[in-house]
Amino acid sequence: MTDLLLDVTQQLINGLMYGAFYAIIGIGFTLFFGVMKKFNLAYGPTIMAGIYLGLIPLYLFKMPMWVVFLTCVAGAIVIGFIVELACFRFIRKGHELAPLITTIGMLILIQETVVTITHALPYEYPNIFGDESLDLGPFLVRPDYLAIFITGVGFVALLYLLVNRTRFGRAMRAVAENPAAAQLLGVSVKRMNMLTFTLSSALGGVSGFLVAMTFGALQPGIAGWMTIKGLVVIVIGGVGSIPGAILAGLLLGVVEFQAMWFLGFTYRDILAFLLLFAFLVLRPSGLMGKPAV
Amino acid sequence: MEYYVAVLSIIGIHMLLGLSVYLVAITGQLSFGQQGFYAIGAYFAGMCTALWGIPLFPAILVGMAAAGVMGFLVGFPCLRVKGLYLGIATLGFGEIVRLVFLNIKYTKMIGGKLVGPNGAEGFRHVSYIYDRGMTQVQYLGIIYAAVLVVAILIFLLERSKLGVKFRAVEEDEMAAAMAGINVTAVKVFAFTMGGFVAGLGGALFVHYSTYIDHEIVALPLAFSSAIYPLLGGLGSVWGPILGAAVLIFLTESLRVLHEFRMIIYGALIILMMTFRPRGLIDEAFLRRLRGLRRRRAAASAAT
Amino acid sequence: MKRVIRIASGLLSLLLVLAPGGVGAFQEEGTLRIGGMWALSGPAAYIGSSSNGLSSLAVDEVNEAGGVMVEGKRVKLVKYVYDDACKAEEGLTVVRRLADADKVLFSLGPTCSNVAEPVFGILQKRLGDASDTGLQFLFFTDTAIKFGLAKISPWAFRNVGNEPQMFDLTFKLVKEKFPDLKTVSVAYESDFAHSVSTWKGAVKPALDKHGYQVTEVVEWRFEDTEFGAQTTKLRKANADILVMLSHTFTTCGSVKELKRQRVKAKLMVGITSTANTETMTGCGQAVDGLIIPTNFAAINPKAKAVAEKAWTKYKADSNLHSVPAYENIYAIKGIVEKAGIKNRPETLLQDRRKVRDALAKLGTFQGLIGPIKMNGDDDPVKPRDVDKAIILVQAKGGQWTIWWQPPEMK
Repeated sequence: MTDLLLDVTQQLINGLMYGAFYAIIGIGFTLFFGVMKKFNLAYGPTIMAGIYLGLIPLYLFKMPMWVVFLTCVAGAIVIGFIVELACFRFIRKGHELAPLITTIGMLILIQETVVTITHALPYEYPNIFGDESLDLGPFLVRPDYLAIFITGVGFVALLYLLVNRTRFGRAMRAVAENPAAAQLLGVSVKRMNMLTFTLSSALGGVSGFLVAMTFGALQPGIAGWMTIKGLVVIVIGGVGSIPGAILAGLLLGVVEFQAMWFLGFTYRDILAFLLLFAFLVLRPSGLMGKPAV
Repeated sequence: MEYYVAVLSIIGIHMLLGLSVYLVAITGQLSFGQQGFYAIGAYFAGMCTALWGIPLFPAILVGMAAAGVMGFLVGFPCLRVKGLYLGIATLGFGEIVRLVFLNIKYTKMIGGKLVGPNGAEGFRHVSYIYDRGMTQVQYLGIIYAAVLVVAILIFLLERSKLGVKFRAVEEDEMAAAMAGINVTAVKVFAFTMGGFVAGLGGALFVHYSTYIDHEIVALPLAFSSAIYPLLGGLGSVWGPILGAAVLIFLTESLRVLHEFRMIIYGALIILMMTFRPRGLIDEAFLRRLRGLRRRRAAASAAT
Repeated sequence: MKRVIRIASGLLSLLLVLAPGGVGAFQEEGTLRIGGMWALSGPAAYIGSSSNGLSSLAVDEVNEAGGVMVEGKRVKLVKYVYDDACKAEEGLTVVRRLADADKVLFSLGPTCSNVAEPVFGILQKRLGDASDTGLQFLFFTDTAIKFGLAKISPWAFRNVGNEPQMFDLTFKLVKEKFPDLKTVSVAYESDFAHSVSTWKGAVKPALDKHGYQVTEVVEWRFEDTEFGAQTTKLRKANADILVMLSHTFTTCGSVKELKRQRVKAKLMVGITSTANTETMTGCGQAVDGLIIPTNFAAINPKAKAVAEKAWTKYKADSNLHSVPAYENIYAIKGIVEKAGIKNRPETLLQDRRKVRDALAKLGTFQGLIGPIKMNGDDDPVKPRDVDKAIILVQAKGGQWTIWWQPPEMK
């Protein structure tokens, strides 16, 4: 019995910490899909491109990790800017689904560019948090997951302050609720969107850097993985809700790790999607979202 | 010659996929899961001919039926969600189907060969048409006969009262409901029909390629099938047909670019949507066509 | 204006489609057409482009030495190459492009077993049977290694490793060298056909045959990045030997996780596809100690020279998947010069058939590190597959070193 309890707890610890990733990725997605109401399916590839750009200072110039970190974030912002230009800015107003297709086109473009440049070779990020698990009683805790969890909490706190305690945050929320009214009150909707886009891309770069270190090897497929997880998280959490994304991310992590331990990976993935379905059917607005649009 | 027949065959099958997304899309539901029905059609039809010795046409009907039933079942939970949420839900459905087939193992020894869905190793030896001496061109005829029938049926549907209901639901669900339209019935019906058409595509595919596995129906196919009608235009049944043709044409004709092929492909998708955000054959184009016809009719009437 | 642009680009792409298959008269032009379809984009791009590079090297060498002797005339090899992106659908159109539009004599590739499945599946199954409308096109594969693929059609030949034999030998040697290792844990990618069939068809039988006890079997996805739960299970099982049937991306990740959770097996065995430079780039020293059965290592001067030239000229890695592309071209050259083909578009079908039949009867031909025996159509277990030397390599300090090679090769 205690063996079972130990297993469950170990996977619970892993799940919560890994859930922090999902939460951070989910926040980025929720900013796009919920706050800016842009269906940006190229967000995952943007993060991946930022991560791969970080390889340049790492391998070509042997720079320290903080330079790599900045490159990741800057790279994500630049690529995000390109995505905004190519996929959103020049689409004539009217068809709300057109950006969806352009971002899919962008997804293909970014992913294939990375594959072509890297020849699909696996590169790795050195893990600055160490390569051995820590012993916490009978449990093993990955130092990088723990660090990411703490960093994640820190970033979320910062984000909370930004969104709820600053003028910028208030303007962002105003634009999300009612762009017309916000404009009437003197908020430049265009500028807000630009800034929010940049913020989401930057957040993507940060989460990308952290995530990249935990992988054994980078591969272009992480773009699709992040996209799926991000979408699942924002739906469960409620599109547009940052606390929702956090809760949903943690929930997804916990469920996945328990399912992985007891049922294997196929059922882990099926369960993740069934969880998604359950929420969509029973509580479409998600854990904390407003009623679905 | 055979090469062009091969390309046209794949285009025809993908036209069916595009038409299936279109059917559902004209009720305002964008589905990223039609490849799930495609997979169901493929596996069931394949099992019929390869495992149970059922001839081709009944096998295709079985594949369609299985997919249609699934479409019916999926339509209900999807009622509660709209827009992006629906896209994600259907994406999830497609993935669940793929994962289920990843795990199904149901094989028999037939003629010294192991036949049947074999989990990750796929389902091979669905060689019905090649064993019976059907030529590529004959099968192409079957594929396009299917496309023609489906296109005509959709065309007629759109001009019927039901078609008006579809578009009404797409336009504004609440208004449609207030006008007395049974929105639930319309949406579930669309999903069922979409399932049938996608299942037909899958059944035709598996016999063309003799093989199906879970990778074939993964996310890239979800994106492609949704792109066909959106790129081609949601205004008429020609949209998904043109969309599938153009995109696969591009995939093949860009081969001269070698490893840059897919990069240019992605860029072209962006460009095409930028210049024609409502699709290649959008409502404006259709209106102009109709206007042209009317002017010509008026001119001939005046003379 | 926009419409003009669109119509123009539409016509342009139409022209691009119509472009291939300029039908010159081969022999008159002094060319012999061969084809290759590999994964040149997508996750398997590295493997596919290595094969492509090795084949280009062979074509260059043959042409520089004067070409191939056909009907008393020396003709040059011309290679038509297409990317199938490791996707079944693309493979289906590409094969017909090669067979029909480009009219090549035979094709190398494909890289991925899941492409080979449908591509071989549409080939003719009953030779000379007019009621079998399968494609009559010859494949001499270099990479797709899943066991049993060549059985699908008499037009499919492969110069690839025989994994059941390779793992049988591996565990036989391990048993001899380390007799007190008894328990085994296995990890494989259960959504990747190659991994699955290797586990079920090659590793498991070999383990049973040599009396090993399998204490734990875990699985992950081909593109998985998180291995915590599975590694914990491996740690609990605490087996002597760890068999990791994962391809490069997951090998690196899982091996790191093993280190992280301090899982120390006394021996680690890997899957054939991982024995290449790609693994070293991604994993570095993390995979030290991993033993893998393979069919190629640069163990003689000729092999070394080829590997070096392939790298400098084409950035192609020489390994068990890519080197056969080089070997196959020489083998076909030898066959063509004796088979009496006419090398004309009208005689293409007969020429292919002649080469096919000759390939089936070829018997033994020379590979880069030793003789290779092609099994004929009537072999009950592995028709049209080869038997060739097996070498075991081990990762040491970021390099592959020879752990064992056949005594006759020393």
